[in-house]
Amino acid sequence: MALSALFFSQSAGYTASDLKGDVMEKSDLSHHILSRYNDDLERVRTNVLQMGGFVEEQLKQAVTALVQGDSRLGEQVARGDQKVNAMEVAIDDDCSRILATRAPAASDLRLIVAVIKTITDLERIGDEAEKIGYIGSRLAAVERPADRYREIKHLGRLVGDMVHEALDAFARLDPEGAVAIAKKDRLVDEEFEAIQRQCITFMMEDPRTIRRALDVLWVARALERIGDHAKNVCEYVVYMVHGKDIRHLSMEDVEKHLQSRSQRQQESLPPAR
Amino acid sequence: MKKILSAFSPSGWRSVSRLGIALAVAFLIGLMFGRVALALAITFGIYSIVQLWNVLRVEYWLRHRRVESPPDISGVWGEVVTIISRIYRRKQFHRARVTGLLREFRRLTSAMPEGAVLLGPDHEILWFNGRAGEWLRLRRKRDVGIRVENLVRHPAFVDYLKTGHPSEGPIVQDLETDRWLAFNIVRTGTAERQLLMVRDVSQEQQLQSMRKDFVANASHELRSPLTVISGYLDALADDEELDPAWNTPVLEMRRQAERMRTIIKDLLELSKLESGEHTQEESAVDMAGMLALLRKEVMALDERPRNVRLQLESDALLKGVESELHSVASNLITNAVKYTPAEGDIELRWWVDDAGAHLSVRDTGVGIAEEHIPRLTERFYRVDPGRARSMGGSGLGLAIVKHALQRHDATLEIKSKEGVGSTFTCHFPRTRVISRSAGVLATA
Repeated sequence: MALSALFFSQSAGYTASDLKGDVMEKSDLSHHILSRYNDDLERVRTNVLQMGGFVEEQLKQAVTALVQGDSRLGEQVARGDQKVNAMEVAIDDDCSRILATRAPAASDLRLIVAVIKTITDLERIGDEAEKIGYIGSRLAAVERPADRYREIKHLGRLVGDMVHEALDAFARLDPEGAVAIAKKDRLVDEEFEAIQRQCITFMMEDPRTIRRALDVLWVARALERIGDHAKNVCEYVVYMVHGKDIRHLSMEDVEKHLQSRSQRQQESLPPAR
Repeated sequence: MKKILSAFSPSGWRSVSRLGIALAVAFLIGLMFGRVALALAITFGIYSIVQLWNVLRVEYWLRHRRVESPPDISGVWGEVVTIISRIYRRKQFHRARVTGLLREFRRLTSAMPEGAVLLGPDHEILWFNGRAGEWLRLRRKRDVGIRVENLVRHPAFVDYLKTGHPSEGPIVQDLETDRWLAFNIVRTGTAERQLLMVRDVSQEQQLQSMRKDFVANASHELRSPLTVISGYLDALADDEELDPAWNTPVLEMRRQAERMRTIIKDLLELSKLESGEHTQEESAVDMAGMLALLRKEVMALDERPRNVRLQLESDALLKGVESELHSVASNLITNAVKYTPAEGDIELRWWVDDAGAHLSVRDTGVGIAEEHIPRLTERFYRVDPGRARSMGGSGLGLAIVKHALQRHDATLEIKSKEGVGSTFTCHFPRTRVISRSAGVLATA
């Protein structure tokens, strides 16, 4: 009996690890015999996240520059975009080199593909932050509205959180978290709608504010776009982990899909000891 | 053999003697019936069955780990069971103690006012306490093994992790909670492990900004009434109808107003330097040109030392903030002019060597006594309070010099002998020196 139990537990362990091969785990990156290859993959991922960290900071400073009317900070953000572009090019080069020399397969290939897509979105976020910084430094010169851009600040915080959490999901390879963040995009859209309506009201009340209201609208639009880019990053995380393209599915379908998937995994896995 | 025999326990002896007695009895019975071999064989058979039964019981007991109910066996096997259960109990006790210690340790670290993260050789997270988890939003279990810079992505922090610069650790603002966090890496005994300490410095940061605001506001508010006062004093001094008896007091009032203006200006400058913000961009500064200009200004003064020599041994440029470098040079030169009699000399020297760039201001003035030198850069520190007041000046000059130099990674060296003169030398690191040709290329 003891022998049969031993045999069973071993065979169960084997099937479990076999099935898990489909799902990428964080430890997965260290499974190659060539340690240089591991280093390459790990470095690319770290570089992407560093680029993300810089973009996050850019976004935060751009919104701060606008809200506090700090034209110098705004200009600094606008100049910082060059660095974002340089980072994108460097990571892109790295990815091409890995594709050419290592010929990655399965989860490694998905990682590289997801990285290439992610940096494009991060670079766009950087561009939008640059735009906000530029408009912010211009708006610093004109009179500030009574609410001191409270709505923009709120939207900026919401979008900033989205970017932050999307990058967290990327670092943790956490598709469930990524889907939860992607759902926040709806909130951002609603907020954008509200700002749009408010700006239209201002413009109708007093035509002299049209110029400023248009600028504010541009900023809100940029923030809304950043929210979309953050959502894209989340989608790449799901792709990277599950190998499933969820770009044009509705969020409910995605959730259902992920749930059925994790259920199947749980059934096939032995009960936790 | 003897040793083993003597080392037998009493129960061992008892078993041996019991076997001996059983064999003797069997032998006797065998003799009685004339079948010695059969009797001995039966005895041995029974003996081995009993032994096998005991071994099986012990094996069953060990396998099922029913430590609390050891099988009741007499003889050597009983002894074996007792010894095993004693060892097991001791292990159990130690384990309980270690787990207790661990639990205590964990409770202590989570109660620690600072966050701690243990990092591996590739900066991967090995362990962190509750405070660090809360501040950096790390998730227990899930985030162990992930590189810390992948989750804490502030550019300043990532730079610090890579280069170890600035050495006192960066202070960054959390994007979500607006908390200010100060990071510091402690290298533990082995090079493989690093301890990342995180402190919440929001309160210090708030106090700092309050202090900065206060100094800025107070100075500003003091400056406007002072402008009015000196304006009227100027008018009074020019007024010819004024009683000549008032001439001296008005002159003194003007001088004091001027002094107050300098103090306020220096206070503002110092608070700006201390706030640590680089408000201006660094550029390639032409120190030789700046010194030449400053010398011209000194030569235009009415009361000045006889000779101001300029010794420019390099035309190299210095990477830094021009206004701050200017205040360094002008403060040092002003001091030299102030404390050097009319027949004295001042020498300004600018040179570059392997260690970096150097700027020195040497005078043949009154000099400073040894015991004052270490405290010279303190704010409002005066060597001779009475004398300094009559000279004017805010008492902040050298403090400004010190802070401005710190921001350029430079140091100030003071050599002085009373009655002979003093030399103030600024040492700039090699990395800040830009040779002229490279500088021209960069600007072209």
